Amino acid sequence: MRYAVSHATTLEYAAPVQLAQFNVRLRPASWPGQQVSDYALALDPGPAQVTDGDGGYYVNETRFSLREPISRLRIDSRFVVEREALPFYVTAASGPVLSDLRERAMRLPDLSALGPASYIFASPLAAPERDIALWSSGFLSDAMPVMEAGRALMTAIHDQFAYDSGATAADTPPIEAFHARHGVCQDFSHIMIIAARAHGIPAAYVSGYLRTLPPPGQARLVGVDAMHAWVNLWCGEELGWVGFDPTNAILADTDHVFIGMGRDYSDVAPLDGTFRGSSQQTMLFSVDVAPLD
Amino acid sequence: MSLVSPSGPTDLIGPAAGWLDAYPVAVSGGDLFGDAAEPIAAHWHKVAAGLSLLAEGDPSALQDAATRHAADLGLTFRVTGDEEERDWPLNAMPLVVGSAEWAEIERGLIQRATLFERLAADIYGPQRLVREGHLPAAVIAGSPYFARKMPGRAPQGGQGGDGHFIQVYSADLARGPRGHWRVLQDRVRMASGIGYALENRLAMTRTGGTVLADNHVRRIVEFFGQMRAGMVAACGRESPRIALLTAGRFNQTYAEQAHLARYLGFPLVEGRDLSVVEDRLWVGTIAGPKRVDAIWRWINTDALDPLSFDAKSRLGVANLFEAWAGGSVGMVNWPGTEVLETPAFAAFMPRLCRVLLGEEPLLPNIATWWCGQAAESATVAARLDELAVLPAFGQPVEGLSRREPVAASELSGAERTALLEALSRRPMDYCGQEIVKLSTTPAIIAGELAPRPFTVRAFVARDADGAWRVMPGGFARLSSAKALPTSLMGEGDLSADLWVIEDQPGAGFQPVRAAGTPPISRGGGILASQAADNLFWFGRYNERAQFVTRLLRALLDGSVEVDGGLSASTYDGTGDESGVLQALVDMLVESGAVLAPPPGQPAAATCAAALGETQLPGGVAALLRRRQAVGLSLRERFARDFWRLVSRPMPDFDLHRPASLLGAVRTLTEHFSALSGLVSENMVRSAAWRFLEIGQRMERAQGICRMVRRLGELAEAPGALGVLLDLCDSQIIYRTRYLTGPMPGPVRDLVLLDPDNPRALVFQIAGVVEHLAALPSARDDNLPEPPMRAARALLGEVQAATAGDTDWNWIAGIEARLLDLSDAISSRYFLQFDPDEAEKRTPVL
Repeated sequence: MRYAVSHATTLEYAAPVQLAQFNVRLRPASWPGQQVSDYALALDPGPAQVTDGDGGYYVNETRFSLREPISRLRIDSRFVVEREALPFYVTAASGPVLSDLRERAMRLPDLSALGPASYIFASPLAAPERDIALWSSGFLSDAMPVMEAGRALMTAIHDQFAYDSGATAADTPPIEAFHARHGVCQDFSHIMIIAARAHGIPAAYVSGYLRTLPPPGQARLVGVDAMHAWVNLWCGEELGWVGFDPTNAILADTDHVFIGMGRDYSDVAPLDGTFRGSSQQTMLFSVDVAPLD
Repeated sequence: MSLVSPSGPTDLIGPAAGWLDAYPVAVSGGDLFGDAAEPIAAHWHKVAAGLSLLAEGDPSALQDAATRHAADLGLTFRVTGDEEERDWPLNAMPLVVGSAEWAEIERGLIQRATLFERLAADIYGPQRLVREGHLPAAVIAGSPYFARKMPGRAPQGGQGGDGHFIQVYSADLARGPRGHWRVLQDRVRMASGIGYALENRLAMTRTGGTVLADNHVRRIVEFFGQMRAGMVAACGRESPRIALLTAGRFNQTYAEQAHLARYLGFPLVEGRDLSVVEDRLWVGTIAGPKRVDAIWRWINTDALDPLSFDAKSRLGVANLFEAWAGGSVGMVNWPGTEVLETPAFAAFMPRLCRVLLGEEPLLPNIATWWCGQAAESATVAARLDELAVLPAFGQPVEGLSRREPVAASELSGAERTALLEALSRRPMDYCGQEIVKLSTTPAIIAGELAPRPFTVRAFVARDADGAWRVMPGGFARLSSAKALPTSLMGEGDLSADLWVIEDQPGAGFQPVRAAGTPPISRGGGILASQAADNLFWFGRYNERAQFVTRLLRALLDGSVEVDGGLSASTYDGTGDESGVLQALVDMLVESGAVLAPPPGQPAAATCAAALGETQLPGGVAALLRRRQAVGLSLRERFARDFWRLVSRPMPDFDLHRPASLLGAVRTLTEHFSALSGLVSENMVRSAAWRFLEIGQRMERAQGICRMVRRLGELAEAPGALGVLLDLCDSQIIYRTRYLTGPMPGPVRDLVLLDPDNPRALVFQIAGVVEHLAALPSARDDNLPEPPMRAARALLGEVQAATAGDTDWNWIAGIEARLLDLSDAISSRYFLQFDPDEAEKRTPVL
């Protein structure tokens, strides 16, 4: 599948803010089965300086600063992406059992942003939660192969939690969403990450997009109107990272467009930064992922 | 009684000298004194005897003296979670270690520091250790301090040489039962305790007099000079500006950081004082931005730069990363080095020492097993009952309620089951550790020497040549609990000084080599805008509290003899003055000291409310608290005497006894006089002093206007002008100058317009003009800046006025212009935003 992706963000400030600086993480990092072309980032007003860099984890980070005070900023990110279907050897695989997977993850001499070691420990927004660990122990065990464990986890979340875009805010702790049994893709992904890590499965937060309109005759997926998030589990050296989407209870496949991955949302946040002052901010955005073929 | 006294003054001592003879040496655990061999054992006795002589044989008296000296130094600390700072608990009995034993420790510490440097260089460089399997990737990735953006960014040294990742290293040491020293914990993130070690030594030097010199106790001050020289050398240019970056006054060891900054002559800055422009770091000062060459950071790496690390951090500086990565700012220690501090890392230290240095560890850490490896995990599970368990990366983990090591044998059955279950799911989160039994050392407890378990924090720093130097001494912590200490000071702990004493008098004792004469300089160094702002407000709050206190004194002096009711009160025995008292109360209300009292409320009750008020902004207690809060962040600028006065608690008073109220007010009045005496006699005439003065003078000018406006209206009431003269401290001048009682014209001239009266309005404004003129200019053309123009215009107007001009409207106009002048000063000299806004560097969404 080929898609034209466009993502427009508008920030507005009640009063002009000074020395505003931003990190934008919207340019897709390279990912198997995905080819990106014609990436363009447009900023209005134009910044004093733009630097492309690496976000530490597996994500592209574009930094820019504005000299003049601003009361409004528009960020337009566009690209075309070719997405291949997940190969059969992944969808049909079962992977190592959890007790074996843990030891493999500990042994692999890979400190890179794609190595499992970086995604197995507590992170700022996904700290260990005993309640989530106990809950997931109900359907995970050491003898379970990792692909089965991933499917069991995402299915459990999909079945037991209600999608409710008004129920949580961006900074709602995952444990609150867990107890309330509702949330959005960000909450579900964090809950799944905490549960997976509780069993020693390396788990990463993926930021990306879903195709907006379903193929004819199929239902619209949940989470198409904004950026989407799902979970990458490390499934051993052979399978590597496999995407599980707990919001829709499906593997990340041709409908999913990968932007970047980190330990949790804070590593891959599409936009963050600082300014001087304390003006009220509002953000509007629109996302469109349109099939080209 | 076996008093060993090789020589000198101890011969003079009577029986009380044998403090250590009655000391119960622990049989099994090991004791620093009990295990000491000659000649160090003799030194213990000599030290004890010397101290005993000073205290006339009474350990309590010695302890009191040490406590007093520690308090005089202004030493305090904060227990995590506490609002208030606490007094520093320094035990007067030092730890004595012989130089031969210490030399072993030194060698071991230097070996570890060397190893840490190599480790940091590998982790943030080629990562050979991980690739070759000497170190699991997870041991690095598991640390919350691993800085993912740092690999490939090595420090650049001065003069083109390679820089150092680690400039200051410290370690917590434990002495085991058989006298072996072990490292409990390595520290590269912050050298907390280094300032307290210095202060403890200062306090002990004052307490112990010649006892230190008599015993050839090694000096530690040279260490600080060497450390400073090391930081300077790393900057690669002459007279670099090195700032100590603090998390702010609510930090646990802020007092220590402030002392250290002052001692080393480094400006103490917070993130909001700094900005990065074109990859260079600047500190905002009253003379414009000044370049900063290096930072000694006392905040974590992830808080250093909200753009490159934690976007929510308000402590750091945006783009600081680019400044250090580009080599324009030195960092002590290099960001990310704290990754080496975790318990999991300790498990690999013996092996890494062999791999990287080809040596066995001279000073090993206590045996540690990281459960992320199958074999080690099995060992820990099998030997659980003889080990302590702790989180591998210093983060909270399931099954352990604290970050400190817990002896597994002390867990309940349920806790143990839960721990084993969690350990099986996430073994990589745990370390097993040998249980350390700490040696004891003699401490003065309840008037006698009693054994206390101890640990020592030792400090290592690079000198100007980049070579490691060890502080010959350290920060000893005496614990009351059995648990191993992890923070600097815990509940109920004591600290003590550590004395390294030459085994053979004379041998190896080097006289202090005189350092090269520094270039002569004057002035107070740079003044950060933030500090200027704080000084200004310190002055304002101080003067405002003084103003309210004066109003209270006037009210109480006039009403205390009678029954205290406003309506029944008389002032100075002359007729009905209720209008005057009402004006005084109105001024209290206008100042925000009290809410309007109900009619008929006795003046004493109103005064008591204004004195004790902490919620309304103008209450005396509230103002003193705000003054104290602002003063905390100025601590390194104030002399100790000054700080001691400022920290003094509010005087007590009894609401129902007007005499006690008056007593409190008089005590406060003396307090303000003492402070202003210190400011005028002891404070260097620097820009800092000028901002303090400007704040006071601006506030006093406003107070005078307010009093004249209120009381001048009552000129018909004969007492009113007398009260006004009292409030303005001008009663006596008036009497010497005029034979009549207070008359409106002369009184107004005296308190508003007389340039020779230091309490007059014109005198305050003239002072502000003079101070502004002496401040550095931000303009190259030497034209006066806006605050100066506003101040001069105001001064001109007041100078040109006659008593007849100074009606209500004139005064109201002057008050409005004083406010404008205050704004002009703020916007020129302080941060560019109003204080409330400057606090907030807002994260985007």
